[in-house]
Amino acid sequence: MGVAPLKAQFLGGNATTEAELVSDVASIQPGAKFWVAIRMKMQDGWHTYWRNPGDSGLRTSVEWILPEGFKASDIHWPVPERIDTPPLITFGYHDEVLLLTEISAPADLKAGQEVVFSANVEWLECKEVCLPGEAEVSLNLSVVQETPETNDRWVQEFADARSSLPLTVTDWELSAGKENNRLYIFAQPPSYFDRELEEISFYPYQGLAIDLSAEQKLKKTGSSYLLELVPSPNADALPDSLEGILVTEDGWRGPGSEKAMEVRVPVQEDVAFAETGEAGGGNIWLNILFSFIGGMILNLMPCVLPVLSIKIMGFVQQANDTHTKPWKHGLVFMFGVLISFWILAGVLLVLQAGGEQLGWGFQLQSPAFLIILSAFMFLFGLSMFGVFEIGTSLTTIGGKTQSGGGWMGSFIGGVTATVVATPCTAPFMGSALGFALSQPAWVSMTIFTFLGLGMAFPYILLSSVPSLLKFVPKPGRWMESMKQFMGFLLLATVLWLLWVLSIQAGAMMVIIVLGALLLLGLAGWIYGRWGNLAMPAKTRAVASTLAALITIGTVAIALSSVDTYAMNPGSADAAYTGEGIEWESFTPDYLEQLKQEGKTVFLDFTAAWCLSCQVNERVAFSSEEVQNKFEELDIVALKADWTSRNETITKALASYGRNSVPLYVFYPGGNNQQPVILPEIITPGIVLDALETENN
Amino acid sequence: MTRILTILVMVAGLVIGVHAQQAEVGTMAPDFKLTDSKGQEHSLSDFKGKYVILEWVNFGCPFVRKHYDSGNMQKLQQKYTDKGAIWLSICSSAPGKQGHYPQAELGSVLKKERLASTAYLIDEEGTVGKMYDAKTTPHMYVINPDGVLIYAGAIDDKRSTNTEDVKNARNYVVEAMKASMDGKEVEKKSTQAYGCSVKYK
Repeated sequence: MGVAPLKAQFLGGNATTEAELVSDVASIQPGAKFWVAIRMKMQDGWHTYWRNPGDSGLRTSVEWILPEGFKASDIHWPVPERIDTPPLITFGYHDEVLLLTEISAPADLKAGQEVVFSANVEWLECKEVCLPGEAEVSLNLSVVQETPETNDRWVQEFADARSSLPLTVTDWELSAGKENNRLYIFAQPPSYFDRELEEISFYPYQGLAIDLSAEQKLKKTGSSYLLELVPSPNADALPDSLEGILVTEDGWRGPGSEKAMEVRVPVQEDVAFAETGEAGGGNIWLNILFSFIGGMILNLMPCVLPVLSIKIMGFVQQANDTHTKPWKHGLVFMFGVLISFWILAGVLLVLQAGGEQLGWGFQLQSPAFLIILSAFMFLFGLSMFGVFEIGTSLTTIGGKTQSGGGWMGSFIGGVTATVVATPCTAPFMGSALGFALSQPAWVSMTIFTFLGLGMAFPYILLSSVPSLLKFVPKPGRWMESMKQFMGFLLLATVLWLLWVLSIQAGAMMVIIVLGALLLLGLAGWIYGRWGNLAMPAKTRAVASTLAALITIGTVAIALSSVDTYAMNPGSADAAYTGEGIEWESFTPDYLEQLKQEGKTVFLDFTAAWCLSCQVNERVAFSSEEVQNKFEELDIVALKADWTSRNETITKALASYGRNSVPLYVFYPGGNNQQPVILPEIITPGIVLDALETENN
Repeated sequence: MTRILTILVMVAGLVIGVHAQQAEVGTMAPDFKLTDSKGQEHSLSDFKGKYVILEWVNFGCPFVRKHYDSGNMQKLQQKYTDKGAIWLSICSSAPGKQGHYPQAELGSVLKKERLASTAYLIDEEGTVGKMYDAKTTPHMYVINPDGVLIYAGAIDDKRSTNTEDVKNARNYVVEAMKASMDGKEVEKKSTQAYGCSVKYK
C-alpha cells in the first residue's frame, strides 16, 4: 500500500473545475485597453470562492504571464453568492463565473502579429469536501491597427458579468460608525431613487471584520437605511474601516438593476444614528390621520357623492319606516366599506408579494390598465348623466333581498360605495396609496382600514345623530344637477387618462380607445333604456346581457390591440418624445455633419442585452432636470444601437478607444471639438455635471 | 422561601453554566470529556497544570494535508509534547463525512499520518467543536497551565493549501507558546482560522 492510493482516498479525486482564458474581443489595437476573463466552470454542486472566501475556503488566485509591455489589472470580481452552511458562511460561485481583468496594450506594439496571454490559476473547489485545483490557461489575440473585432461568442456573457460587478459610483451616500460593540453602515439614497429596499447585506472584503453568521439588522430611518453588523469575536479590536460590497436583490438603481455596490468607508467614532422605531414610526400616525381624512374626502369625490346623498336619504327613510335605529345601519354600512377595502388591499398585497410591481403610480404606466380605468370612468360618467343607473339599483336590490330591516341593503351600500370610489382614488390619491403599498403588510392594512373608516365616518355620524341631518341639504333638483356635473368631472379624468395613454402608447391607441368608449356608450344606453327596473324582467335580462357583452367585448378588443398598435417607447430607432429627449439614429456621417455645424451632440452607445445601459437610461434620461438641460442647450441626441454589433458602430466605439457598451460621449459644440467621455455608470448628476462644465 | 431561593440559585447556576460552555480567549477554557482512538476517556480538567494545545483535524482536507504532508504538524506535536505540554487532535467530523474513520481503521490511519499528539479525540456529535466554535480544519487553541484560553485561531498566517508556504509562514501557535512560556503576554491572541469547514452533523 503506497502513499498515492491513500491520498486519492483522502482527497476524493482530482479537481473538476474547468478554467479557461477568454475575451470579448478577437483582436486588439496597440495602446488600447481590452477585457479578458478567467472563466471558471464548476461541476454541479461545486463552488469556488470570492476574493474574501469567508469562514473557510480559499480565494481563486491568478498569476499573469504577459508579453512585454502589457499590464493586467486586479481581478474584477462579480457579485458572489452567500453560501450558508451553518455555522459557517462563505462567499463563492456555483456553475460558472467570469473573473474579469482589464489589460492594457503598449503603444509601440507592432500590428500584424499574434500575442499570447497566459495565466496560472489556483483555486479551491468545494462541495462537501474540498479539492485544490490549478491550471495554466492561455489566449491568443491578433494585433491590428484597424478596428478590433469583437468575439461574438462572449459579448453577451461579458456584458452580464460587467453588470454584476459592484457599482462604484451611484450617488448613494455611505458612512459607517460604531456604538456598543456594534458596527453600523448608513446608506442615504440619491434623489432619483424612489423605490424601497427590503433587504441589504454586507459582504466584507476583509476577513475578521464582522461576524459573518450573525444577523445583519436593517432599519429604515426616513428615506435612509441603517445596517447593524456584529463585529468578529476573533478580532483584537473593531475595524478602522469597512470595505466590501452592499448587496440587495432589489437593485441599487431601481428594480432589475445592479445588485452590488462597493462601500469603502472609515468607521467613525461617534455617529448619532437616529434610533427610530420600525418602519419610520412617526410617519405612521401622520399617514393614518391622512388616510382617515382622505377617506372622508372620498365622499366628496364625483364617484361617491351621489351615492352618499342617496344613502343618507335611505337611512332617514328607514329610520322613519322601521324602528331600527339608523346608527345600526350606519355601522353595517361601515362594515361593508371596511370589508371591501380589506379585500381590495388584500388582493393588491398578494399580487405585490407575488412580484407584480403594483402601486397606483406604476399602474398608470401600463396601457392596459389605463384602458380599463378609462372605460370605468367613462361608464360612471354616463351613469352620472343619467344614461343608466348603477349605485342606486344595487342598493335597491340589496334592500329588496332582505326583509330584516334592510341590513343587506346597508352592507351592500357600503360595498358599492367602495367599489364606486376605487377608480376615483387613483388620480387623486395615487401617492398616498403608493406609500401605503410600499410599507410592510400590516402598515398597508392599517392605512386602508382608516381610509375605510374615514369614508364611512360621515354616514355613522349622520345616522347616529339624526339631528345633523337638518344640515344635509334636502333632496331636490340640486341633487340631480350635482350628479350630472360630477359626470363632467369624470369625463375630465378620462381625458387625462387618455393623455397619459397617448404618451405611453401613441395616438393610434387613443383613437382605438375612443372607439371603444363610443361602443361603451352604446352599451350604457341599451342598459339604461331597456335594462332599468321599470322594464319587465325578461327585457331587463336581455338588455343587461347585451350591454355586458358589448362592454366586455369592446374592452377586450381594445386591450388586445395594445400589442399591435401601441408604439413601444423603448424602441431605439423611432423618434419618440416619451422620455422627453428626442433620440435620433446615429450614423458617422450625421455626426460629422453636426460637428461641422458646431452643434452640441450627445452620443449614447447602447444595446438591448446590456443591463447597465438600460438602467443608465432609465435612471439618467428620465430625470426632468436632464431633459430640460438637453432642451436648453439645444442638444442633438444620437443613439447608437449596438444590439446586433454592426460594424459601423463597432468602428465608432473603437474611435473612442472602446470595445463595449455603454459609452456616453458629449460634444460641447461650437469651436470645441473635443469629445467628453462620461463614465460607464451614469446618474442624472453625472450627466448634468458633464453638460454644464463643458458649456462654460 | 428557601424553595424559591434554591430554584433561583439553580437557575442562576444553569445560566452561568450554560454561558461558560462557550470558549472565549482570555477566559477559562470550557471543560469537556471525549474518548480517544484507543478507547480511553480524557477530560480537559485531567490536564490542569499543563499547557494544552487543541488541534481540530480532518485528514481529507487540503489545508490539513499541507501541514501533514510537509511534516509540519507532526513536528509541532513532537516538539511540545517533549516539553511536557498536552497535544489533543480532535476530529468533529460526523459519521459518514470526510475525516471520520471507523474505529477499526483509526489505528492504521494515525500510524500512516505519523501522529505525534498525546491523543486523537473523537467528537462525532460535534459538541466540543461547537463549544469551542471550531469552524475550520485546522483550527488551533492554546490553553495555559491555569486553564485559561490564550490563543484561538489559525495555525499560521499563510492561508493556502501549498506545502511550500509552511516554512515561510508566521506560526501563531509557536508564538503563543513561546510568549506564554517566557512569562510574556501573547501578542496575537486570536486570528481568523482558515481551512475547510468542520464536517459537523
